[in-house]
Amino acid sequence: MIPGRGGAGGKKRGGHFKIEPFRHKVDLDPQYAEKTWKVLEDAIHEIHNHNAFGLSFEELYRNAYNMVLHKFGDRLYKGLEDTITAHLVEVSKKIDVAQGLLFLEETNKRWEDHNKSMQMIRDILMYMDRTYVNQHGKTPVHELGLKLWRDTVVRCDTIKPRLSATLLELIQKERSGETIDRALVRCITKMLMDLGTQVYCEDFERPFLEASADFYKVESQEYIASSDCPAYLKKAEQRLNEETARVSHYLDPSTETKITTVVEKELVGTQVKILVDLPNSGLVALMKDDKFDDLERMFCLFRRGGVLQGLSTMRDSMSEYLRETGKHLVLDPERIKDPVEYVQRLLDERDKMDDIIKKSFHNDKTFQHTLNQAFEYFINLNPRSPEFISLFVDDKLRKGLKGVSEEEVEVVLDKVMMLFRYLQEKDVFEKYYKQHLAKRLLPGRSMSDDAERSLLVKLKTECGYQFTSKLEGMFTDMKTSRDHMHDFRQQGIDLGGIDLQVQILTTGSWPTQSAAKCNLPPELEHCCEQFKELPQAAWSLEVTETRELSLHCGRPDPGRSTLWTAGPRTLHTVDSRTPDAPHCGRPDPGRSTLWTAGPRTLHTVDGRTPDAPHCGRPDPGRSTLWTAGPRTLHTVDGTHYV
Amino acid sequence: MGKPETVRLVSKEGFEFVIDYKAACVSNTIKNMLSSQGNFTETELGEIKFPEISTPILEKVCQYFYYKLRYTHCPDVIPEFKIEPDIALQLLMASNFLDT
Repeated sequence: MIPGRGGAGGKKRGGHFKIEPFRHKVDLDPQYAEKTWKVLEDAIHEIHNHNAFGLSFEELYRNAYNMVLHKFGDRLYKGLEDTITAHLVEVSKKIDVAQGLLFLEETNKRWEDHNKSMQMIRDILMYMDRTYVNQHGKTPVHELGLKLWRDTVVRCDTIKPRLSATLLELIQKERSGETIDRALVRCITKMLMDLGTQVYCEDFERPFLEASADFYKVESQEYIASSDCPAYLKKAEQRLNEETARVSHYLDPSTETKITTVVEKELVGTQVKILVDLPNSGLVALMKDDKFDDLERMFCLFRRGGVLQGLSTMRDSMSEYLRETGKHLVLDPERIKDPVEYVQRLLDERDKMDDIIKKSFHNDKTFQHTLNQAFEYFINLNPRSPEFISLFVDDKLRKGLKGVSEEEVEVVLDKVMMLFRYLQEKDVFEKYYKQHLAKRLLPGRSMSDDAERSLLVKLKTECGYQFTSKLEGMFTDMKTSRDHMHDFRQQGIDLGGIDLQVQILTTGSWPTQSAAKCNLPPELEHCCEQFKELPQAAWSLEVTETRELSLHCGRPDPGRSTLWTAGPRTLHTVDSRTPDAPHCGRPDPGRSTLWTAGPRTLHTVDGRTPDAPHCGRPDPGRSTLWTAGPRTLHTVDGTHYV
Repeated sequence: MGKPETVRLVSKEGFEFVIDYKAACVSNTIKNMLSSQGNFTETELGEIKFPEISTPILEKVCQYFYYKLRYTHCPDVIPEFKIEPDIALQLLMASNFLDT
């Protein structure tokens, strides 16, 4: 209340003036507060009855202002609280009367009314809000309104259970396929949220989650009994999507993760083991049939947060299946007969699983790991695996990769490398590979030098330099041999009509074969001499015998030796002929000479009896023959060379 | 009811000051009054009566509204708003009431 001052302007006296005290304060104290309050109370009632348009805002505001100014803020506040509470009690009675869906509608309507009224009241009592409330630490008007609503209406004993029950009923209806008034539910949930997250959680969310859990528990039992794995997964996915949509439509977003977790847990989590193990449609069956979509669905569902150990169960099952099939594959006696087929089957199996992991499991590392472990396990069950893999490579490099493009060659070699990695006995592999490589290189049987080298590089990358040093040595030797032969031929030395091919090998790099002393026939000796006379350092002739009658020469120079191989019945040079048939070759350019050696004899073409010693003369059309005893080579006239 | 162009402020003695809506809204109280949801008379008529604010005070207040509008967010040098000392107290009370 602003005291009136008559003639305010005239009081100025050269900077010094008097300020009059307020006039009305003392007089009106006792009734003033009550009177003012009465005015306000009536106004509030009018507002509640939607009759506000007759009022003057300014007047009410002024009244409130004055009350606070004159220290009647307490009275004002208390009066406000009481009035609103009384009003709300009335409101709640009215809401209670309504039934069913009307109940929710009535609640909603009253809530909206309440909000509007509170806003008006707050506007009027703005001054109080600003000053009194802050000074005395009371709840501001707006919040007071919410609190009173919550306490009197929502938490009212009769209303509270009905409210959540009705809401849950509606949601249940929707789950069964009926349509409900979503907007209405939205308003109610929003109301609960406005009243406070805690109210929402306690009054609605918790019972909602509980009811949902029960519902889905029952549903999962029904489904699992009636459908197979892929169908069940589809249904689960559908329900999950439904719930997410529901949240976006009329629930608070914070509920989303909670409800999805519940669904995941009840619908999927409890059934994980059962689903995976279903005999005809579980994980194993799906993998066998390459059902990528279903597998992907399973993977995505099991990956979700609410599903405990979903993925690990899948992994275990997959691992078991792999190990079983792998073991079966590896120990099957039929398979073992054909190593190439064996390895090919392994590769196929691996390709298939790789495909599944890529398409359905999103290249998940844990599944890759499981796959690798399973393979490692069963490949090593068969001790001959390294040998077979080497044979497979051997086959491919000899002829299997003929006509295949470079990239495809690389692909095949990479796959073989993958299998190689699984081996535990890598040194066994090396041993066999060295043998096979020697057999390929010496007779020049390898189909592609590039492929060989490529594989060698891969092995080196995998196992380090040490592992492949000998193999590399073999390659280098081949090259050097070629160079030497070239030089030798250039020299035009007369070898007595014998065409000679020499491979120079480093001792130790090549598969060592102990050889007995072998006497060379004079012509061969002659050739050797000629060869030895190459401008190299002096070399010693060291002839070793092997089971296959391989002949070596050694020379002290960079520690390299020459080799002639001799099969059990034949001495071959580069293009070996069949072991059994007695052959001879004519010594014309471009062809190698061949001598067969029986267990004790060397025959001529006309196949005379094994025991008789023969001889041949080195003229065109006839071959020279030498018989070879277990340790000697004879000439025709029977003189021995021991 | 749409926003009116001007608002009328009526002093204790009945003097009417017609000012822009924007100027009037410098005062939070007036702003609330005018934008309130309820159907108060003020919003209906676009007129607010202040039976406790005398004319010279109300006049000064209106001047302040325009002063405030003119110089808010203005980079220029802001001139002083002259307040005569003898109306200072009443002006203070009024501005407290009006939340200005």
